Parts: sequence; structure tokens; C-alpha cells
Amino acid sequence: MNSAETHILGLFKSEDQAAESIRELAKSPYSLKRTNTPFPSHKIMDALKLKPSKVGLFTLVGGITGFLSGFLLAIFTATRWNLIVSGKPIISLIPFFIVGFEFTILFAVFGNFIGLLTQARLPSFKGLDQYYDPRCSGEYFGVLAACQAGQQDGLKQLFEKQGGEIKEFNETI
Amino acid sequence: MSQLTYAQIDQAIINTLTPPRKSYWLIVFLLFCGVFVGAACWVYQIFIGIGVAGQNNPAAWGTYLINFVFWVGIAHSGTLISAILHLFRAGWRNPIARAAETMTVIAVSIAGLFPFIHLGRVWQVYYMLPYPNQRMLWPNFLSPLVFDVVAISTYLTVSSLFWYTGLLPDLAAVRDRSTGLRRKIFKALSFGWTGAHEQWRHYGRGYLFFAALATPLVISVHSVVSWDFALGIVPGWHTTIFAPYFVAGAIHSGLAMVLTLMIPLRTMFKYENIITMEVLENVAKTIVFTGLIVGFAYGTEYFIAWYSHNSIEIEQFRWRALGDYRWGFYFMVLCNTLLPLLFVFKKVRTTIFALFVISLIVNFGMWWERFVIIVGGVAHGFSPHAWGLYAPTIIEYGIMLGSFSLFFFLFLLFAKHLPSVSMTEMKETAHHE
Repeated sequence: MNSAETHILGLFKSEDQAAESIRELAKSPYSLKRTNTPFPSHKIMDALKLKPSKVGLFTLVGGITGFLSGFLLAIFTATRWNLIVSGKPIISLIPFFIVGFEFTILFAVFGNFIGLLTQARLPSFKGLDQYYDPRCSGEYFGVLAACQAGQQDGLKQLFEKQGGEIKEFNETI
Repeated sequence: MSQLTYAQIDQAIINTLTPPRKSYWLIVFLLFCGVFVGAACWVYQIFIGIGVAGQNNPAAWGTYLINFVFWVGIAHSGTLISAILHLFRAGWRNPIARAAETMTVIAVSIAGLFPFIHLGRVWQVYYMLPYPNQRMLWPNFLSPLVFDVVAISTYLTVSSLFWYTGLLPDLAAVRDRSTGLRRKIFKALSFGWTGAHEQWRHYGRGYLFFAALATPLVISVHSVVSWDFALGIVPGWHTTIFAPYFVAGAIHSGLAMVLTLMIPLRTMFKYENIITMEVLENVAKTIVFTGLIVGFAYGTEYFIAWYSHNSIEIEQFRWRALGDYRWGFYFMVLCNTLLPLLFVFKKVRTTIFALFVISLIVNFGMWWERFVIIVGGVAHGFSPHAWGLYAPTIIEYGIMLGSFSLFFFLFLLFAKHLPSVSMTEMKETAHHE
């Protein structure tokens, strides 16, 4: 982060205004840092042109690991005794598939949760201390942008043009 | 609902977290006394032995397993509402999803206690766990009872993680409107959630996968529970219809419990603008649907008993309707399939009192359905000389009281200390409207 940067947060009552200001920022010399919204907004996501999340990869890896673990565990335990029950084979695929299925879901969910936490960088309390306004978890859509010292007025005007309320963070890092 | 602004939604839900009145703590205390009674009965059983319960030969499965199946069933509609209806984009589920998910987590935790209670020598539960040990023993994964251990523990883990993930943005919203110690607690609980676009991007994907994984899981869990019975060669149990029959019954009872919980919650927290009559009406309509499936399953069992010309099966179903437990059978047919049909009348399903009473009736009927299936099967098997009867003892009644008290105790604690309606999803709903 540039040491001479100033951060300004535009607070909008509607996601349309926030999305429009993001599009305007893309055409401006100012850099968009973050948005904070009370719920997931597709319009804002579209304006940000974000890449698809990779959480699914964690879920997939978890699911495959789970299926193999469950299926192999059931086979392993059965072969410890080699006890034939009702003439069924020692390695009975259909009942073991049930165990494999349950483990698939369990490990896929573990993978999903770990993926979500690592990709979204949670837990992290840094974001709360830096340029955050608590109203963004309530009724406001926040768009945080940075500009060089002396360009604050232009950035403020950009947000105000979209009907945003301005919050300027004076500290620089 | 549409007239509510984001601020009003926040206010309405955060207002429910204000310090409760004395009457709330009195109810919590009474429920705690119920939990204490249940715990005391269990301790007594541990000291004296499983013989203090009414299970006998041949009726070796009694209220402990009836309550196990009952609570697993109750747990099912939470996932139906939070996961399946989420995938179908049914917006009406948003106001009740959080409470239904909480109900799921609590109910499946309570259900999980009953196999331990039923074991008698609960300290030997580690025999069920697959780990290398000097006894050289491993669980037998051919047994549906071991499937059940895996399925229920998976369901508890998945529903808890799903519930907590859904809570994160709301915990952050409460944190941002709190001060002092409460703020510190909610700050830690919310993992520092800020609603940043990077967080929502992954959250949206993760939540969708949670829903997609929970959907087949919820169907598998009660199917596995049904196989505890259906894979046993017992008349009245050994039937292929059990899996869908149990799943439909589970959702039926769970939806009824949703109404039982939502209606007082709606009045207590003045949620009339959030949990609207339309939401309750939709739950009632779904109950009509699941009640019809359950009724169809009851009919199919009788049809197959007759059509198979199997004399043992015919006797089992004759006895079910005319034998010692016929009242249980009449309760289940009346309460689960006939009375819920009253919801086809708009006047009934838009009357709060009727919704509440019928929801209680369905819960009562579903408990009796489990009694009729579980006890009826083992009590009236193949050999007439091995027929028997079963009645719960005071210890079993005490433990049952404890389980119901624990359920409402935990739910009341949740309702007053965590957001009982998802603020995030309500805002999304308000936004789309």
C-alpha cells in the first residue's frame, strides 16, 4: 500500500448506487480497495468482475478423500475378521458404499468449511480495525477507495455524485 | 415483509436480544428442572442397571429408541427448510430458516443421546468406534446400527457447521450494534466478519455447497435410521418402503415442530411482520403434502401385507389395527394423515390457534407412529409363544421428560441470545421484493 494514500469510504443506501460508483472508480485514477455490504449483492459482484471462488476445490478434495476413507475403512475392518454373515461376501460393496457416502459428505463439508475460512481469510480481526464502518453490516453498502494525497476532493465528488455519504479516514499506513 | 427497511429488520431482530424478563428465566428454570429429572433418571439407570426400564424379551426396543427416531425426525425439517428450499430458491423459508436449523442441531444432539441411554452400560460406548486397539476389535460395517453411528454423527457435524456458517454475518451485525463485553464476545464469535466482497464471494459458494451436500445427507440419514428396522427380519419392519416412508414422516413431524416453535416465537418477539401468515401457511401446505405421503405409506403397508399372502405379515398388520396397541395406530392415522388435511381449508391454515393445535397433534401422532412401528414389530413377531407386551417405566418417562425439557430449554436460550431470524437473508428477501 502506498504510504501517501488516503482512504475514503462511500456509504450508499442502495446497491445500485454502490455498483455504479464501482464502475466509475474503474474508469478513474482512484483505486478500489474493498466493499462491505450487509448481504451478498450480485450487482456489486458483477461490477467488481470477480473470478469464481475456489472453495469448490476444497469441497471436491474433501469429498474424494472422504469416500476413499469410508470405503477403505469398512473394507479394512471387514478383513480383520473375515467373518461371513448370511453368506454375504467379506467385502460387500453395497453396504460399504453407504459408509463411503456418509464419509464423502462429512469430509466434503470439512473441506468446504476449511476452504471457506482459508479463502475468505477468517478468522481475521484486522479488517475491523482498518477503514470499516459498522453501518455496513446494517443498512449501508460501503465502497472503500484510496487516492493520492491531494486527490480527495475528486474521489469524494465521485461518491457524492452517486448519492453516497462520505467517510474519510485520515490515518495513512 | 416487503415494507420493512434493512434498518427495521435489524432493529426488530436485535431487539429480541435485550435482557429478558423474569418470566423468561422462570420458564428456563422450570425446563432446567425437567432436564435435571431426566439426568437423574439416567444416573439412576446407570447405577441400578438397564432393568429399571421396561424393555423385555421380546420387546427389547422401547421408548429410548422411539425417542431417538422421534428426535432424528424432528431434526429433518430444519435441513429441508435451510438446504432444500434454499436450493429451490423458496424465499418464504428465509424468516424461519435460522430457527429451524437451530431446532435441527438441538434435536439431533438429543437424538444422539438416546442410543447411549439405550446401551445401558454407556461407558462401553467406545466399542463402537473404529480405532486400533489391544482388543483387536473393529466395528462391523455390515450392520445398519454402525451405519447409523456414522450417519448421525455426520448429520450432527454437518448441520452444526451449516448453522454456524449461516450465523457468521448476523453475529457480525450484532457485534456492530453492541458495546462492552457483548461486543467482545460477538467479535470473537463472528471471526471478524466484515461483509467484504472477498468474504461474500467465498461465502456464497460455500453456503451453496453446504446446501447441496446437506440435501442428500438429510435423505440418507433417515433412510439409514429406517434400515435399523428394515434390515431386521421382523414382521412389520422388513419392507422396502421404509426409507421413503421414514424420510417423509421425519419431514412431516419436523414441519409440525417448526410451527410449534415458530408460533410462540412470533408472538413473543412480535415477529408478525417477519414471520408472516404466508410463511406459516406455506408450512401448513407442506404438512398436507407430507401427511399425504405418510398416509400413502400406511396404506401401502396394509396393501402389501394383503397382496403378499404372507400370513405372518397379515397377522402383524391385523394386530396393529385390532391388537393391544390399536390406540397408538388410531392416533397415528388420525393425527398424521387425517387431521392435517384440515389445512386444505384456508380458514384453518390462516388461524394461528388451529395451526398451533394441529402442529401439536401431528407431533403427538408421529411419536405414536414410532411406538407402533418399533414396539409393535418386536412384540408380535413370528412365534406366538414369543409374543409379548411393553410399557414404559417411570424412569423412561423421566428421561423422556428430560429430553423434551432439554429441547425447549436450549431453544429458549438460543432465541434470547442469538439472532433467531437471519438478518442477512431477510435483507436479501426485502431487497428482491
